[in-house]
Amino acid sequence: MLLRINNLQVSYGSVKALKDISLEVHLGEIITLIGSNGAGKSTALMALSGILKPDSGEILFDGRNIAGLDPHAIVNMGISQVPEGRRIFPGLSVHENLLMGGFSTSTASLKKRLQDVYDLFPVFKERRSQLGGTLSGGEQQMLAIGRALMSSPRLLLLDEPSLGLSPVMAQKIFRVIKEINKEGVTVLLVEQNAMAALSLCERAYVLDSGAVKLSGRGRDLINDDQVKKAYLGK
Amino acid sequence: MFFQQVINGLTLGCVYAIIALGYTMVYGILGLINFAHGEIYMLGAYLSIIFLGLFTVAGITSYSIVLSIFLSLLLAVIFCSAFGYTMEKTAYKPLRGSSRLSPLISAIGVSIFLQNFVMKTQGATDKVFPYKFHFASIDFLGVSLTSLQMLIICSSFLLMAGLYLFTKFSKTGRAMRATSQDALMASLVGINVDRVISVTFIIGAGLAAVAGMMIASYYGVINYYIGYIAGIKAFTAAVLGGIGSIPGAMIGGLALGLVESLGSAYISAEYKDAYAFGILIIILMIKPSGLLGRSSDQKV
Repeated sequence: MLLRINNLQVSYGSVKALKDISLEVHLGEIITLIGSNGAGKSTALMALSGILKPDSGEILFDGRNIAGLDPHAIVNMGISQVPEGRRIFPGLSVHENLLMGGFSTSTASLKKRLQDVYDLFPVFKERRSQLGGTLSGGEQQMLAIGRALMSSPRLLLLDEPSLGLSPVMAQKIFRVIKEINKEGVTVLLVEQNAMAALSLCERAYVLDSGAVKLSGRGRDLINDDQVKKAYLGK
Repeated sequence: MFFQQVINGLTLGCVYAIIALGYTMVYGILGLINFAHGEIYMLGAYLSIIFLGLFTVAGITSYSIVLSIFLSLLLAVIFCSAFGYTMEKTAYKPLRGSSRLSPLISAIGVSIFLQNFVMKTQGATDKVFPYKFHFASIDFLGVSLTSLQMLIICSSFLLMAGLYLFTKFSKTGRAMRATSQDALMASLVGINVDRVISVTFIIGAGLAAVAGMMIASYYGVINYYIGYIAGIKAFTAAVLGGIGSIPGAMIGGLALGLVESLGSAYISAEYKDAYAFGILIIILMIKPSGLLGRSSDQKV
C-alpha cells in the first residue's frame, strides 16, 4: 500500500470541504477521483500536497503520517502534483521550469532526470529557452507533467489535466499518463472527463459533498446506473 | 556643466537604484511595499559611522583606513540583514494571509519605530561621517569625477550585475523568480517559500546598508530622517522601472537620479524633491506598470 487516507477532514475557515474521506492507493495503480464541482477533489489533492492543513485524519504515505507536513517536505518524500490550470511559471523558460521541478533533486541525478523528461517530450528539446507563458495550453500541460516528474515522484497527483484542451490533445495527455504509469509511477487522477478517466484507471472513488459516495473498479463504475446518470450524462 | 550634472546624477541614481532593489524584490515576492525599507538604509548609514568610530578608538583606522572602512561596511551589512530577517519574521510573517493592508500598516509601524529609536539613542542632530574620501579626482574639460563618485558608481554596478547574475543563474535566484511568479506552485515543486522570503529580506536589507554607507560618505552628514525621503524616492524609482522587476529598479533608480540632478541644475534646485514625485504621478497616470513592468495576462 503506497497511500492510505483515513477519515480526512479539511475546511476553509468555517466551511467543511472534506467531511470524511478514506481511500487507498496501491503501488503502481492509476486511481481516479470523480465528482461534481465542489465535491472536494482538488481540496483532497491540496491536502495531500500539504498546501491545506487537515483538521483531522491521517494521510499515510508508505506507512508514515504526512498530514500537516510542509509542502516541500512532502515533495521530498516522493509526492508531486500537477495542479489545476497547470501553473507554469510564465516568465521562466521551458528549461528553467523543468529545473524548478527538480528543485530538491541532487545535482548528480538532475541531469539524468532532465534527459528522461526531454525524451518523454521531445518537442521541448529545441524549445528549451522559450518562455513558459508563451506555450499553448496543451504544451503547458505537458510541461507541467514534465516538471512534476523532475522530482522522481513515486506518487503523481494530477488535477484536471485535460481541462480546456482539444479532444485530440486530451487523448495525447491520457496516453502520456498511461505511459508514465507503465514506468512505475503511481497516479492519482482528478478528472472532469469521467468517461476517459474511468476507462484509464484501475479503481475510482466518487466524491460527493466532501465524502466518498461510491468506489470500485473503473470499468464497473462506467456501467453503474448512478454514475451514468450523474457523471457520464447518459 | 551638463556632463558634471550627469555624473552627479549617476552617483545619486546608483544609490537610489540600490535601495529600489530592496523594494522591488520584496514586492515581487510578497506583493508588499515594505515602507520600513528606507529606515534600514538610514540604519545602515548610522551603523557605518558607529562602527567606523569604534574602529578608530580601537586603533584599526590608524593602522589601515581601508580595512577599517571595509569592516564597518561589512558589519553594517550583517546587522541590517539580520534586522531585515527579524523584521520579516516578527512584523510581516504573522500577518501573512490576512488582508493586504495589514502588513502595510505593520511596515509603517516598523518605520516609525526605527526612526524614533535612532533619534532617541543617537540624538536628533546631524551625525558627521568621520572620514573624507577625496584621494583624487579626474578633471577633464571642467568636469570632475571624484574618487568617491567613481567608487560609488563602480561598486553599485558591480552589485547590480552580481544581483542580476544571482537571480538569473543561481538555484536560489531561480527559486526567487519562481516564487514571485507563483508562490503556491513554488511550494508544490518543493521550494521552501519561507526561506526564499527570508533570503529576499536579507539581500534587500544588506543592499540598503551599502547604500546607507555610500550616502553617509558622499554627503558627509546624516540624520535620523534621511530614510523617509530616500525611501520614497527609491520607491518611485522602483515604480518607474516597473515594481517587481529587478532590472527595472536599476534603470528607474538611474533615471531618477539623472532627472533630479539635471532638473536641479537647469530648472531649479528648490524643487529637487518635487521632480521625483512629479515622475511618480506621471508614471502612475500614464503607465502604472512602469518601464519594464510585467503584464498580468497569462495563458490558460
